Amino acid sequence: MATAVQGVPPDATDSGAHDSGSPKVDAPDVRAPEVDAPDVRAPEVDAPEFDAPEFDAPEFDAPEFDAPDIDAGEIRAAMEYYARQQWTDGLPVVPVTESYLTEFLARTSRDPSDVVLAMPHLNRECTVRLAAINAAMAGCLPEYFPVVLAAWDALVGEGYVTRAIWQSTTGTAPLLIVNGPVRNQIGLNSAGNVFGSGFRANATIGRSIRLTAINVFGLHPHLLDQATQGTPAKYSACIAENEEASPWEPLHVQYGFDPAESTVTAMVIRSCVHIEARHTQQPEQLGLDIAGTIARTGAMVHETTSATVVLSPEHARVFASAGWSKQDVRQFLYDRAASSRADLAAVGKDAISRNTRWRLPAGHPDALPADESFDPVPALNSPGAVQVMVAGASNAGVSAVIESLGARGNPPSIAKVEGTVKVSSTA
Amino acid sequence: MSICTDSFVPAASAMAKLYGFPAYEFATMPHPLASLDQEQIDSCARELMPQLLRILGVEP
Repeated sequence: MATAVQGVPPDATDSGAHDSGSPKVDAPDVRAPEVDAPDVRAPEVDAPEFDAPEFDAPEFDAPEFDAPDIDAGEIRAAMEYYARQQWTDGLPVVPVTESYLTEFLARTSRDPSDVVLAMPHLNRECTVRLAAINAAMAGCLPEYFPVVLAAWDALVGEGYVTRAIWQSTTGTAPLLIVNGPVRNQIGLNSAGNVFGSGFRANATIGRSIRLTAINVFGLHPHLLDQATQGTPAKYSACIAENEEASPWEPLHVQYGFDPAESTVTAMVIRSCVHIEARHTQQPEQLGLDIAGTIARTGAMVHETTSATVVLSPEHARVFASAGWSKQDVRQFLYDRAASSRADLAAVGKDAISRNTRWRLPAGHPDALPADESFDPVPALNSPGAVQVMVAGASNAGVSAVIESLGARGNPPSIAKVEGTVKVSSTA
Repeated sequence: MSICTDSFVPAASAMAKLYGFPAYEFATMPHPLASLDQEQIDSCARELMPQLLRILGVEP
């Protein structure tokens, strides 16, 4: 019986080919099957009424199949074992062996026992080894692992995650934003469908965080994860900035990193609201559309909010062509993202709690006396409470507002990706 | 003494188990709490009193 590690059941992942008591778990023997492809030829055709051109059908070469020659039943048994242990977000996970885990750990200089995140209130901590196991289970390739570790660094720096935000009824998710050369080295999507599916690096790096939350910290829904509804971003939320299509400096360069450095920015998000504005080339019109979305009353939980505006390249050019810098956009959004006092009163959010700083009706016993000297009421406390970046395809006037919790005016939490990411031949 | 609304009993029990007190007893009250007015909160508090006294071991 192989030695079990957390998240790695020896019975389910062991090929059974080694001696009992060995701690080593080998990957199954994977071989390509012999495939006899049919020799496909075009039939002979006699054209009856017209002069048919002579037609020599090509002789098709047999495609090369590299499907592994293994028993699918064993794979399914391993996957079902993981599912029964609830080591999953609901989707199938990749069984992990010690030999595969070694490939991940080889991608970092950190010791496997180093702690990447501790949650003292849960008496649990995630080590490099546990982060690697869950990255592998999520479907990451080993070369993604430095990005996963940088994501954890950024999450720790952001600070909210250690204050039980992942257990909150609000139902947040971590959003990871990747900048720098690593984007292209590991195939992270920054263009069309950037929030959608279809790209392994985006899908699995974000998923590795969720699986770790479940498997290491025990944040299962209906138990320690009390999200009332949650968000689809809880499956995975990892995007890259489309630096090549941006008229401005990338997000990480804006905060002092070198363009040749790769980074991960982490933030706690609740929603991703889209902006449809295909009709305008006027920056003020577009800016007001975005500002109105930031200030929507449903998002106003606290006294003020924070947001990241993910502009499509087309929308970014609307601003840049008019001579607006990124800072100009942020200043405009700060100036114009606001709600009238009457609109806030209509939804019972016109006052602030003296205890929690949450919004509540002016007549509530906890309400602070209203300062009616300003109307409308700003939704942001400073231009720094809104970040601006560029992602998506350059094919429509469609952008997004990411509604985030946490830092309002402070720089976002950005962590550098360790070393040079070497791409393996399996990518 | 911990008081939670009934919606949070599973999470509270999971935390109690995590801390090594699986049989920790909470006083529970109906959900929701956040949207109640003062009169409703006072009413909940009165209804909670017997539960609180029992858990604290106060003799009748």
